[in-house]
Amino acid sequence: MVNRKLVKFLSFRYIILSIVFIVLAGGLVVLPKFEKQEGIEPEKLLADAISPERYISTDVLADRMINQDPTLLLIDLRTAEDYNKYALPNAINIPIENIFSKDYEGYLNQVEYDVVLYSNDNFKADQAWILCKRLDYKNLRVLKGGINKWYSTIINPEKPTELMASKAFDLYSFRKAASMYFGVAYPQKETEKRVVAKAKPKVTTTAKVVVPKKKKKKMPVEGGC
Amino acid sequence: MKELEKTKRISIAAVLTILLVIIALLSYKRPSHLYSESIEKSLELVSNSDYIFTQQDLEKYDFELVDVRSNIEYIKGHLDNAINIYVPEILDPKNSEFFQEMKENNKTVVLYGASPNEALTPFMLLQQLGYNNIKILTVDLEYSQDKLIVKSSTLEENKYDIKKYIDESIKKATAKPKTIPKPKPVVKKITPVKKNKKLPVEGGC
Repeated sequence: MVNRKLVKFLSFRYIILSIVFIVLAGGLVVLPKFEKQEGIEPEKLLADAISPERYISTDVLADRMINQDPTLLLIDLRTAEDYNKYALPNAINIPIENIFSKDYEGYLNQVEYDVVLYSNDNFKADQAWILCKRLDYKNLRVLKGGINKWYSTIINPEKPTELMASKAFDLYSFRKAASMYFGVAYPQKETEKRVVAKAKPKVTTTAKVVVPKKKKKKMPVEGGC
Repeated sequence: MKELEKTKRISIAAVLTILLVIIALLSYKRPSHLYSESIEKSLELVSNSDYIFTQQDLEKYDFELVDVRSNIEYIKGHLDNAINIYVPEILDPKNSEFFQEMKENNKTVVLYGASPNEALTPFMLLQQLGYNNIKILTVDLEYSQDKLIVKSSTLEENKYDIKKYIDESIKKATAKPKTIPKPKPVVKKITPVKKNKKLPVEGGC
């Protein structure tokens, strides 16, 4: 009796097995649909974004520009209008809205150059940096303080007061020289003065000229008693 | 008999497959955070300035203030009614729960740091994760004699006209330096000192 039931059941065995597989396959549809994730994990992006290593200071940038570092690529994220008014030498203008357009992708997504992003301050540049970082673009830096800092440190550096450390004076002379490189001219007088001051040898050896003194001959007193 | 053996094998294989699938499903760990905005959409979101919350807005709207500085800074001084979530902890499960709750209640969350730049990183991250109710408070925080001073700040301001400055400096340098009026030589009055002429000694007596 039992045996007969079993045989009856076993006759459906293939159908039963196939139903099990169909159910499992159906389960795949129920599985959460994962959108294709664009970019690196959010946790990693956060870790990268909070480290300050992405910033480059205006002094370091000026130094590299003066030394004509061939690996440097400057990208101006401001509007074309601002760019035409003033931009760093050899910078490429990519308004922030266009950073992912096909024309400019090659500038940002590469490994040969050290790309420095800048804007008026570093807010826009940071936005672009975070977005590019999500796509795992390499070698991107942000100019700390942007053009405004560039003006106040390189183009028009503040003169140190007399009480400041000698380091401040060294920095000032570097910045002043850098500003001259970037086109700022200083009145001639001032520079001349410095040159003169430097060139003037302090030690002057004066040969002693011996002037023989004429001894006064005492004239014989004439006359007398 | 042969038939039965074949079935046996098939059933063993089937059971093993099912087990494998179940184990795979159980061991799969769902990533806790997923971007819900595409990169183009995120760019569009930051390009408009909807996320800016000024100091004046603080009085007008209903919102939740979040201080993204470190706990030490927060204790030192913070805005009224602000809670503290330090930037590196922004993705912690507890904090994610908070942001999720705020999103569900349709309440605006306003982030602030020592400068708007400091709040940018957590803001952008949360925005890309799909929290669209986040804003940045555009203030600079400063301390003066242990008192917190809140100043409004403007973003991306074109402060200086550098070209003009350079042109002017060149103009100044090339312009003929003003001839500084030479100090008139003070004419020294020479009062000739009469030399006492020694008269030849004449005679005597």
